[in-house]
Amino acid sequence: MHSIFRPPINWRHRRFRYRLVVWRCLNCGAVHHNATKICRRCRSNRLAEDQLPSRARLLTYTVVKNPPVAFERQAPYIVGVVEFEDGTRLLTGITDCEPEELKPGMELERVVRRLTEDGESGLIVYGYRFRPVLKKR
Amino acid sequence: MLKGLHVDGHASLSTSVDVQFNTFIGAVATGCELPGISGVSIHGYGAYIPIFRIKASEIARVWGLSDSELPVLEKAVNSLDEDTVTIAAEAAGYALARAGIDPGRIGAVYVGSESHPYAVKPTGTIVADVLGVNSRLLSADLEFACKAGTEAMQLVTGLVASRMIDYGLAIGADTAQGRPRDALEYTAAAGGVAVVIGRSGDGAIADFEFASSYVSDTPDFWRRSHERYPMHGSRFTGAPAYFHHIISAVKMVQDEGYSLGDFDYFVFHQPNTKFPYAVAKMLGVPAKKVESGVVCNVIGNTYAASSMMGLAKVLDQAKPGERILMASYGSGAGSDVFVFRVKEGVLEKRGLAPLVSELIERRKYIDYSLYLKARGKIRE
Amino acid sequence: MPMRRVFIAGASLLKVDEYWGDTIDSMVTEVVDGLGETRPWRIDSIYVANAVGEVLQGQANLGALVAENLGLAGVPSLRVEAGGASGAAALLTGYQAILSGLANTVLVVGVEKLSDATPEEAVMMPTLSERYDYVGFQGATEASIAAMMYRIYLEKFELPQEMVAQFPVIMHEHASKSPHAQYQFKTTLENVLSSPVVSPPLRRLETTSPADGAAAVLLCSSDTLSKLPHERAVELVGAASSTDFIFPFEREDPLRLTAAARAFNEALAKSGLSKEDIKILEIHDSYSIIASLILESIGYSAPGSSGVDAKNGAYDHGGKVVVNTFGGLKARGHPLGATGVYQAAEIFLQLTEKAGPCQVDGAKVGGMISLSGLGSSAYTLVMREV
Repeated sequence: MHSIFRPPINWRHRRFRYRLVVWRCLNCGAVHHNATKICRRCRSNRLAEDQLPSRARLLTYTVVKNPPVAFERQAPYIVGVVEFEDGTRLLTGITDCEPEELKPGMELERVVRRLTEDGESGLIVYGYRFRPVLKKR
Repeated sequence: MLKGLHVDGHASLSTSVDVQFNTFIGAVATGCELPGISGVSIHGYGAYIPIFRIKASEIARVWGLSDSELPVLEKAVNSLDEDTVTIAAEAAGYALARAGIDPGRIGAVYVGSESHPYAVKPTGTIVADVLGVNSRLLSADLEFACKAGTEAMQLVTGLVASRMIDYGLAIGADTAQGRPRDALEYTAAAGGVAVVIGRSGDGAIADFEFASSYVSDTPDFWRRSHERYPMHGSRFTGAPAYFHHIISAVKMVQDEGYSLGDFDYFVFHQPNTKFPYAVAKMLGVPAKKVESGVVCNVIGNTYAASSMMGLAKVLDQAKPGERILMASYGSGAGSDVFVFRVKEGVLEKRGLAPLVSELIERRKYIDYSLYLKARGKIRE
Repeated sequence: MPMRRVFIAGASLLKVDEYWGDTIDSMVTEVVDGLGETRPWRIDSIYVANAVGEVLQGQANLGALVAENLGLAGVPSLRVEAGGASGAAALLTGYQAILSGLANTVLVVGVEKLSDATPEEAVMMPTLSERYDYVGFQGATEASIAAMMYRIYLEKFELPQEMVAQFPVIMHEHASKSPHAQYQFKTTLENVLSSPVVSPPLRRLETTSPADGAAAVLLCSSDTLSKLPHERAVELVGAASSTDFIFPFEREDPLRLTAAARAFNEALAKSGLSKEDIKILEIHDSYSIIASLILESIGYSAPGSSGVDAKNGAYDHGGKVVVNTFGGLKARGHPLGATGVYQAAEIFLQLTEKAGPCQVDGAKVGGMISLSGLGSSAYTLVMREV
């Protein structure tokens, strides 16, 4: 079984994948996707749960035309790197748009999407993606 | 009749809402059990429509059919990364944004759909976790064809009225499937609407005044287990099914002392553009009181979200004090009927999330081949 | 006590190819056979470099497997995995074992069979070196992340793509004379830039493709070298490795491969040589852009100028250093876990003047730099003729 279809793995990452709940270092501000006791940047052990904002700016992007296992049917699709106000960078799928619509610096917002599925009978994997902002603030 | 949904004793008669309500149906209510609902309101609503559209004429082109007299102009199509879970979650996120309440205060999440991604494993728990709702929660998935979403509204309304919960989310969402070349292929669409229902009070968008339901065993449309596409009774879906149930449900509203002239808006289930106007005509309702809530022509039939989408569109434009009659229809068959009174809260809250018109405007057209890809109909 | 010295006494490699009829086992025995008569040698330890054997062949525990196949059951043997740098990691481990005095003779074998993968699995294999619970579930690939590094590189330095895309042309030119290269044809800039887009701006001819390969080197101490018959040896004068944040965009500068820079500088310092002494350099050009970034990160070119330098011949025969003398990852081929051992074997061939038509005249010092992922770990080895 492909690791991304394993139920316990999906379960334990769900708060990060659904809501970008992260562990933030109270010393240097670095963000960790998984619960951790040691900051990967400054080795501080003062960390607390936090949530990344729902909007971020596009840093750069590309298109996956040669997909890996489990993403065959979706190709081509966009992946990119977004940057939050605090400087945190995140790799993300980008949806609901064509590559031509994207410009570095533009605001994107988080949505939760169906990322892939384990055939017709296995687990459906949900998680964040970003898309152009639907309603301007 | 869902008498169980009514008020919790005479104490609530002292509230201004009840006085107003009582005044309206005073003649009927005097001296007997108070009908309908009081003290329960919509505090937030949110709609979501996927970005893709396919024109009905494009579908007709593939099958070599004339593009005149098609049931809708175009329909909304979910992308490959969307399903009922993601659509429900997005609509519910908007409903929470309008309600302005912490997701932790939600006590129930009910999702009505005919396209739950899993046959067994609730949509509701995924949606709740996506929203960050407290785990101390009532949740279940509902199925009642196109009225599964309004059925969720009935349940949540009852839970709030009984004070079992403070707030609940009722969601109707679908990624409806129509068999290629079937009449349903033109209309079976994707979309979702969620409402946050709570006790009446400051910030309410609309008060529930009455809710009931009319059902019978009428096999006009069904999908057996393990089947990909539904079967339907073609013209049998009309008179004995859609029209009979909606008209019967509306009659219950009239039986409670309302006259159809009391309503500023009528929202009916909209499986195609023709039916909501046709049922209005049978009821003697002017078309202009229906058209505010008609979205089917441009997004298709969003099934469990269909009548709720009409309600959302009406709430996008209604004025405080106006009254809405909503009657859903679900095959198999039944109609949920609701009476709403629009409140002041709608004015400040409607701008907090996308309007239905904005969601309709946000669209990209796809051709039939991309439609097949988006709907996962290309099979190895 | 004088510092122990480490030598490469022999090297062997198979043509990088698709070996449909072969197994990991048969490729290992074949390549070790190429080392010649090894029975007089008392091998103290075997390090098997392999990146994805348990994924594609369902085979773990390659240490014992290889020892048994070679008739060396009884000899300590373990598998070393560091993604695309597994081969270099195994070499460093062998180097350390000999330096420590605990071993006198070490066999390092790199082997990988990627031809068993479906196309989608082949895309997934290098991506396993990224954080899979983060990058993988979004459907991102290593190539797509490299493509994003490529894009910001071109934007930052306002360069046309040809400045980076010329590297594959140089690699194919070198491989055209290399009998063990996977792709022994020459190509042109036009071909590279018109090959199918993998992830814009990255084109297919700027990437590698799935390949099978096996390479072996024999490491030994000076004691062993003096006692045993050999033709010519090469001394391993410096080796070092370093790591970095796995996701390039979480590094301070995504365009600076700091792990590569640290490993290179440290290995060079240990060798007591200077950068100018190195006349041949085998680099980890898993993507064209990575060739540029390595050369700039380790200081051969200023940031943004590796393309201009390459255009001026700096990295070709007659230039300041000949890069990837047998075609590099691009054209010799990139059998993931075996690649680092190929690099070492190729430097051995150069410094012992057995490189045939690929020979770089007068090469006395060679360096190699191998990466896992997109620079999350880096290994450098520096070798000198004896």
